[in-house]
This record gives sequence, structure tokens and C-alpha cells, in this order.
Amino acid sequence: MPELHDRLTRCFASVFPALPPDQIHAASVESVPAWDSLAAVTLIAVLEQEFNTQIDLMELPELTSYQAVREYLQRQIK
Amino acid sequence: MNLIEALEISRKPVAQDAKLLRIFLACGFTPLHLQNFLSAHLRQLFPENRIEIKTGLFGDLAGSLERLDAKGLDGLAVALEWPDLDSRLGIRELGGWQVSDVHEIATSVDLQLSRLQRALKTAARSVPVVLSLPTIPLPPLFYTPPIINSAEKTKLLLALAKFAADLSKESGIRILDSQAIDCVSPPAARFDIKSEILSGFPYKLPHASTLAQSMASLLQARSPKKGLITDLDDTLWSGILGEVGVEGVNWSLEHHSHIHGLYQQFLSSLASAGVLVGVASKNDAALVQQAFDRKDLLLKKDKVFPFEVHWHRKSDSVQRILKSWNIGPEAVVFIDDSPMEAAEVKAAFPTMDCLVFKKDDYQAVWDLLANLRASFGKTAISQEDAIRLESLRSAAPLFDALGQDGNASDEFLKRADAFVSFDFTKRPKDGRAFELVNKTNQFNLNGKRFSESEWNKFLADPASFLVTVTYQDKYGPLGKIAVVLGKVNEKKLYVAAWVMSCRAFSRRIEHHSLKQIFEKFDADEAVFDFQPTDRNTPTQDFFLELAGEPPQPGLKISRAAFLKKAPPLFHHVEGS
Repeated sequence: MPELHDRLTRCFASVFPALPPDQIHAASVESVPAWDSLAAVTLIAVLEQEFNTQIDLMELPELTSYQAVREYLQRQIK
Repeated sequence: MNLIEALEISRKPVAQDAKLLRIFLACGFTPLHLQNFLSAHLRQLFPENRIEIKTGLFGDLAGSLERLDAKGLDGLAVALEWPDLDSRLGIRELGGWQVSDVHEIATSVDLQLSRLQRALKTAARSVPVVLSLPTIPLPPLFYTPPIINSAEKTKLLLALAKFAADLSKESGIRILDSQAIDCVSPPAARFDIKSEILSGFPYKLPHASTLAQSMASLLQARSPKKGLITDLDDTLWSGILGEVGVEGVNWSLEHHSHIHGLYQQFLSSLASAGVLVGVASKNDAALVQQAFDRKDLLLKKDKVFPFEVHWHRKSDSVQRILKSWNIGPEAVVFIDDSPMEAAEVKAAFPTMDCLVFKKDDYQAVWDLLANLRASFGKTAISQEDAIRLESLRSAAPLFDALGQDGNASDEFLKRADAFVSFDFTKRPKDGRAFELVNKTNQFNLNGKRFSESEWNKFLADPASFLVTVTYQDKYGPLGKIAVVLGKVNEKKLYVAAWVMSCRAFSRRIEHHSLKQIFEKFDADEAVFDFQPTDRNTPTQDFFLELAGEPPQPGLKISRAAFLKKAPPLFHHVEGS
């Protein structure tokens, strides 16, 4: 799903502008100091608007990395 | 604008030396996305600026405003919501929706509104304030069905309306119109309960963007347009005057041409608010004069100046009207029912708004009126607005008397019986001086504009001075038409801004202003922060005449040199 990949990358780049493009795919709560609670709320809002979806509250604690978000969205969009 | 776009716009790089625009966003909720959207919309309106938005404490709007140090800020944006007036009007605090609570709430809302009112008035003395009244509907706490307007709810709305009415009178406070917000953001699609509970941010993203855009636009304080040029046939009235005659043109319900009457009424309203209204019509001039003698015409003849009625190109008429008004095309709107005429004028004046009056499309005309109000709307009507048209009309003999060099003769000026007054008050009662500096182009020392905070900061310096010049002659009053802003140090004047309305040209008011300032401060020399602009040729000509060479930045003129070159002045100085 190259389109999902590009859109997701743009979402991450907009919320974490200091993150180098080649590190976005490896981004996680542990590796990105700017990924605090405020950034997490902004990321969720950006994702919901960009992918026109509502993110399940129960899933929030799991969405702690680019890969986790990508897998979640793949399941949602399918 | 969606959130991802807002984040991208906000983070676009700006020049290292970009001017910083400091805004305080005051709200009782988590500012979160409203802050992001406000930053993005401000970046779009001020692309050359670096935007810095500071915020206050969660849940303490009144406290944030009371603690605010407005010095150094360029704007204060306040997003008020019902929970800021009483936490029981929100959903984040539980236990307060008993019938007895409902009665108490009105009292506590009154107290909180008084507190906010004081804090906002204090802030508005130092910084422009933009206030948004509650946009989120009240929660279902009243015992009546939501469709019934209960006494308790009405009491709250009344208290809020009184609060807004009082603050609207303050010159430094602009309140977002709730109906205008309703038109672009449906009330039922504003509240995001999930976001409010999870993160304390109450708005759905589209509403946050709309609100931020409106706030940013009010913080920008754009100058209104100054003049409107209208066509006549099938625009100001229905029918072709040359075909149906003076009694045949109409604008009434029975002729199904009421929309033209509405347009006339609107133009008359604009004229009464100081907007210049001119006519450009391909028509028979005598017939047009007869048509304007009709008693039932809503736009009276004396509200229109000038009339350009002949068979030449519309762009020629517009050119002459602009000359009579002495304003630039970017400050004018042209309206004609013919798309071809509108296009012809647009081609000649690309910066002018040229709009088509679609007489058969009522909704389009209604939208046109709303857009015109947006272009011409102003926050207050000044004394100068009331006399602008008359002063232009009365200036005609002066312009007729001008020689080829653009100057009136000594004899003419002597007979003009002119009075000029110089007001050195640094805190004038109205905003006319600030307005003049920010909208005048031709006689303008350097074209620099001031934000309200820059203006206040400049005047707070004890060395600063502000001179507001008022003029009248036997042809009528011009009102406050010139402003000089500067600083004085020992015997030297530093002039930072100097503007004069184009209505006041050719009367030697600029010479008298400089003479008066030299005398008032007993100064030997004036240093001018002069910069040439595309538009300030009259200023350049003035200095060329005094200095004998084209002016350069940092221009200096000694008092002795000025007095040697200054022409005779015939004004009586009022108050001296």
C-alpha cells in the first residue's frame, strides 16, 4: 500500500518536523523525544482527519510506533 | 484547512531576521489544535513574519487574562466558552446539574463576566484584543426540553449579550460576530465530546480551523476599501434609461425589480458611512440628472460624486473618478451588470475589484452586498467619514485653480480663508491618527505601517511626539488630515512617520506642519526616516522642492534652510 505509506509519512513529518525523513519509519515513543502526550493527541487528530477514520480508544495505548500505526490503519482501511 | 496542512504551514521556514508577531491565545481549554490553526492562518496573513503564540493556564481563563503582561504582545486572541463562566456549564466537572444549581449558575456567570470585562478592558489599553464569544452549545442541564428557551437559559444569554455590547464600545476590542461564525461553521458540528473528555479540547477540527481563521483575520485589522463606482442601467435601476425614459426605469416590488432598490439602499448606507460613491455610465448626461431628481430614488444625488456620464470607455471614466477622489485603484470596487465592461475596467486597473451585478440572480446580488460590506466595513465611523464627500466636492474650485505645476496661486490660497490647528496630544481620543498613518500612500514619508502595539510602544517613549493636523477653509472642513510622528532630542527632530490625506494636497499644509514642529520644539534640524516608495511621489516632490535635490534615506533639513525655501503661508492657526 504505497499510498498509505506516503500519507502516513506526511502525517508523522507534520507532527514531528525535527525527525529526519529516513528515520520516520523507525519512529517510536522510545526513539522520538518529542513524542509526548501532546504530540500523541495531535498525531491521532491528524491521522483521524487524514484517513477519515475514528481511532478506537482501546487501541490508543498500542499506537506507540510508526509500524504499529501503519498496521492499525491497514486493518481499518481493509 | 485541515490539521496536517496547518502544521506544515506553521513550520514553513521564515527569514532569520523575520519580524516576530507575538500573540497570546487565552482560553480555558487545552489550546492544542486551535493554537496550531491560529498559527497557520496568521502565517498565511503575515507570510513574512515569525509567529509566536503563547497560552495561559488550563481552566483559568480569567486568571490568565488578569496575569497577562500585554507589553511586547502584538495581539490577544480570546476564545471564551461557557465552562469559563461556570464549570457546571461544561462536562469535565461532575455533580452540578441539579435544578438548584441551574438557579445559582446565572449569578456566578454574572460575577465571572464582570471579572473578564475588567481584565479585557485593561488588556485592550496596550494590545489589540479579539474576542470570540461561546461557540459550543450549552449542555443539556436545564430541566426544560432543549427546544424550549427556558428563563434560566435566556438569563445566561442576556448576561452574555450585555457583556458583549459593553465591550464592543471599546476601541481596542473586536468581537467576532456569532452569526458570521454560524454561517461558516454549523453549530451542531462544533463540539467534539470525545476530544473534550480525553484531552480537554472541545472543538471538532473544522470548527477549530474556522474559528482560528476568523480570529486571525480580525487580528490583521485590514484597511477597508474607500470608494465604489457603479453603473446605472440594469444595475442601480432596472431598465435602459435611454430607451424607457426617466419614469420608465424602476426598482420596486411591483416591477419585480426590488433587488435594484435594495442595491440603492445599500449604496446609500455605504455613503452615509463615509464610503465614496461615484457613477460611471454610458448614458445621456441630462437624462441621468433627471433620473437622479426622482424623489423615490434611494441613493440621493448629493451622496454621489463624481458622475461620469458619456459614451467613452468605462476605464476612462474610472480614471477620472480616481483622479477626483485622489485614491488608488486597489481601494476601489467597480460594479457593472455587463461582464464585458467589468473585464475592460479590470484590464485597465488590475488591482481594482471589478464585480458583475447579476440582476436576475437574487442570491448572487445578496452575496454581493454581503461581500461589499466585508470590503467596506469599519469598526467605527469617524468625523472625517461624515465630511469626506463634501470636502472632495468642495475641493473642485481648488483643483481648478491649480497651475501646471500642481500648485495653487498665492492669491487663491490667501482668499481661501483657511484655518489649521495642530494637536500635540499623544493619546488622542479617537484612532484617526493611527488610521491615517496606516492607510495613506501618497504623502507618506516611508510607507511604513504600525501595528497597534508598535504605535503604543512608540508613544510610550517620553521623547516621542505626535502631531495631528486639522484643516478647514471657506470651501468646507477637511477634518484631521495629517499626522507627524517622531522623537525630539535636544534640538533635533527625528521624524518617523509623516502622512497627509490626498484631500489636503496643494494647500501648503505640509509646510505649515513642519514650521509648527520646528517652533514647538525649538529645533534646529529635522532628520527624516524617508524611504522612496512606488506611491509616495508627492512626498518626494515636497522634499525635492525644499532640498533642491531628490531626497535620500536619512534626509536632513535645517530649520534655517526650510524657512528660506518655504512658500508664504496664509492659514490662520487655531488655538495659537
